[in-house]
Amino acid sequence: MTPAGSLLIATSLNKTYGHTPALDGADFSIHPGEVVAVMGPSGSGKSTLLHCLAGIVRPDSGTVQYNGRELTAMSDSERSGLRRGEFGFVFQFGQLVPELSCVENVALPLRLNGAKRKEAEARAESWMERLEVADVAHKRPGEVSGGQGQRVAVARSLVTSPRVLFADEPTGALDSLNGERVMELLTEAARESRTAVVLVTHEARVAAYSDREVVVRDGKARDMAGVR
Amino acid sequence: MSGQDAPAQEPRARVSVARWAADLAMGARFAVTGGRESWARTIMTAVGVGLGVVLLLVASSVPTAYQQRNERGDARATLSYASKVKAGPDTLHLSDANTDFRDREIAGIVMAPDGDGSPPSPPGVDRLPAAGEMWVSPALKKLLDSGDGKLLRDRFPYRTAGVIGDSGLSGPNDLSYYAGISPKAFDHVNSDYHLAQWGIQKKGEGEPLNPALLLLIIVGCVVLLLPVLIFIATATRFGGERRDRRLAALRLVGADTHMTRRIAAGESLFGALLGLAVGTGLFLLVRVFIEGVVVWDISFFASDIVPAAPLALAIAVAVPASAVMVTLLALRGIAIEPLGVVRNARPKRRRLWWRLLLPLLGIALLAPLAGGFQATSGGSDTKAYQAAAGAVLLLVGVTALLPWVIEAVVERFGGKGSVPWQLATRRLQLSSGTASRAVSGITVAVAGALALQMLFASVQARDSHSTGQDPRRAQMMANVPVSTGAEARDAFERYRATKGVREMLGVTEGYVSALHHSKDDPSTAPEASLTVADCPSLREVAHIRSCKDGDSFFIDAPPDYYAAGEKFAKPGAQVNLAFDDEGMPDLRHKKLWTIPASIKVVKSRVDPIGSERTGVLATPGAFDVAKLARPHAVAMIRTDPKVPDATEYVRNTSAALSPAMDVMRLSSTAQSDEFTVIRKALFIGATATLLLIGASMIVTTLEQLRERKRLLSVLVAFGTRRTTLSWSVLWQTAVPVVLGLALSIAGGLALGTLLLKMVGQPLAVDWSGLGAMTGIGGGVILLVTLVSLPPLWRMMRPEGLRTE
Repeated sequence: MTPAGSLLIATSLNKTYGHTPALDGADFSIHPGEVVAVMGPSGSGKSTLLHCLAGIVRPDSGTVQYNGRELTAMSDSERSGLRRGEFGFVFQFGQLVPELSCVENVALPLRLNGAKRKEAEARAESWMERLEVADVAHKRPGEVSGGQGQRVAVARSLVTSPRVLFADEPTGALDSLNGERVMELLTEAARESRTAVVLVTHEARVAAYSDREVVVRDGKARDMAGVR
Repeated sequence: MSGQDAPAQEPRARVSVARWAADLAMGARFAVTGGRESWARTIMTAVGVGLGVVLLLVASSVPTAYQQRNERGDARATLSYASKVKAGPDTLHLSDANTDFRDREIAGIVMAPDGDGSPPSPPGVDRLPAAGEMWVSPALKKLLDSGDGKLLRDRFPYRTAGVIGDSGLSGPNDLSYYAGISPKAFDHVNSDYHLAQWGIQKKGEGEPLNPALLLLIIVGCVVLLLPVLIFIATATRFGGERRDRRLAALRLVGADTHMTRRIAAGESLFGALLGLAVGTGLFLLVRVFIEGVVVWDISFFASDIVPAAPLALAIAVAVPASAVMVTLLALRGIAIEPLGVVRNARPKRRRLWWRLLLPLLGIALLAPLAGGFQATSGGSDTKAYQAAAGAVLLLVGVTALLPWVIEAVVERFGGKGSVPWQLATRRLQLSSGTASRAVSGITVAVAGALALQMLFASVQARDSHSTGQDPRRAQMMANVPVSTGAEARDAFERYRATKGVREMLGVTEGYVSALHHSKDDPSTAPEASLTVADCPSLREVAHIRSCKDGDSFFIDAPPDYYAAGEKFAKPGAQVNLAFDDEGMPDLRHKKLWTIPASIKVVKSRVDPIGSERTGVLATPGAFDVAKLARPHAVAMIRTDPKVPDATEYVRNTSAALSPAMDVMRLSSTAQSDEFTVIRKALFIGATATLLLIGASMIVTTLEQLRERKRLLSVLVAFGTRRTTLSWSVLWQTAVPVVLGLALSIAGGLALGTLLLKMVGQPLAVDWSGLGAMTGIGGGVILLVTLVSLPPLWRMMRPEGLRTE
């Protein structure tokens, strides 16, 4: 099945780590500007699905098509280039470079793409303002709170204006208040810029920010659009 | 204080000691029971500390080793400068019979008893070698028995009676022998003497150590051992970050801050003690293999390598104690909380004043000594200690300055530059201490080695002198002991017939005397030199245009060139050829010879050996060499470069002519080998130190990378290139090493300049040494980066993102 107008389509993905199957024929698709929550119990294969979709991990079999291009057929450097330019990432923790200031962290993907420092940092600052963390721009990650750090990470994931944002448990390390604020800002910014969001979570209240839910269980992904 | 307080404090003190012991023990248990990671950390620390300990133990054995070696050397010494020994019934007649075989020296003594008494046997043998017998060192026996030694065997016409024991050798690889010869054989020896007792008789405590040498030893020790101590301190910090997280878990279950520190100290203490054991084991292994090591003809017995007891004790106490201290110091800037480790976000700014004070104090101590400290003799003990203290303060000061310099420099970098540069410099800004700690060892080693290289190069240049020899005209020279001119002729023929000899220039020298007694000394008569040789050989000693057999020449020189008495030897003059057994002109039994009136006057020419002659030169046709009394024959030999071992064939011929084998290779300059050895040893020591520091930098870098495994995977997730991170590792290593090298070059040049001024030598920078050190520094940067790359790439794999 290939849903028409999809930006990212995965078909029959299989991935095994050692003797442990992580994905077992998983299918997935997402439209531009759509927010899809990938849910499932711990160890069900949600993160592996996200890593395969983002071209971080190559599946053992199956295909991932992004904007009509076969991701699984691309070389490592081509996939890296795609991740630098078209994709954004937010993880649960440990994602900011501790020795760089927050604004330098946000500007990092732009600089990796070849942008000049001043230009990159100016753009980073505007995103930090949108995510309400402009006041910590020149602090190091170790000097800001968990919620602020996560918003800095969201700003970094959106600074390149990606077409797809991959968020793996983005609020997993935050309290509910901070978590909700991060989700509000993330989904608001993504919808404004028509960025598709693949949101891996096991929390229903986080999934509530999505347009659609996909449940992964035993390595198989089941679209819950009809169920909802 | 109430009376009840005092007893309450005493148990607390007891509890404290018990608590300390319990916490240290718990830490030690964590060092081994924390699974693979704990073991890895403990082994890393133990190996690191062990490497340092083995170097310290070897260094602490050097005084004992040299003392033992010197004592054995003294025990077999033969020359007594105090008084000349006369032949007696219990004395030995000796001559040195040293020779070389390829690049190695062979020390030999030939001997014969003077009388029927019981002359002393040399150390290491139980009886004197009889005529035709020899005792050989084990290494010489091995060489003679080997295929390589076939050529050498021809040089020793003796039967091997036995092997010299250890007490008769300086080291296990000494090539030496004692040979017995007949008393008559001493007729063919140029220099001989008599001996009543072997060994140097020392009076009192012996000579105090030359202050200049003491200065060099102290500075050398600081240069080579301070980095080792720094390395040990670094090794005890291996795996520190991971340990801190484990300590946080302990805080969660109720350990207080003091307890966690004591537990951490216990963990380090265990690693250090294990390191001490590893180091001792390695040291024992090194001792086993040390007998096989020969460096510049010097070797040691395993039994020589024994650390001086006070130094060994100091190592055994200082290493574990410093491990505990370093751990406690490292934890000073860290708050280990139950929910994790909090590092002081911005460490306290380093103060410059005391760091600057150390080198300035060093310079202040060294500067007044300028010109007042002679490397060879002068200088009082106080001056030596002042100089040593100054040098140590300057070197330690340079090391103390390094963290401040690194911090000050990296802070100025700002956030400019490429992404790898930014990542590296920001990392350094956050923790410049780690980098400077690792590099500080390099600073001391390079600064000290550079300064000493400058000093040695300068002293060596001063001590190197031209010999006046011309190896282009002749490559070897042999003094042939002959009794008659005829023997000289035969000896020259044997050299000429030797394999590998292209040409042989032989001159036979003797004297003629006036027919009248000297005015100044009536007991003798004026003498003049008479040199007999064929035309090609005479051309080497005088500027002669035409020459044929039967010609004779007189060397013309300014009047003051000749001693007053020599002026009697004029063309047409009658001279005396008779000399008595003491070598004095014998005017009672004169043998007359008339200097030809047709003698040609020529100018003297410096011969290939560097000597100039005066007097009469005659070809064999003009003067029958057999008539020359007490002649001295010199063979100047041109060897054939195409014949391998030509030199050895010539030496063999010399051995056949005289048991003393008086033959040498000609060289235009003479250089003090001691300084070459010291310079090479310094270079090797500094290189080893740089590699050791490189090893600790590799461990630190790998540790940092492992700590950042997840972050690296995240960076890869959003498309960071491998090269970006590889370059950042390179910069992260290069910046502190380059700064450390720059500082050490500045410090080294300053110390070198001061040392040169002290010994009154002109300033000369040892550019080759400087280049080599810088090159090795660059090599260490590359090595650390290259070794770090494979694990870096491995850690950049997406698996790092997985949490399940």
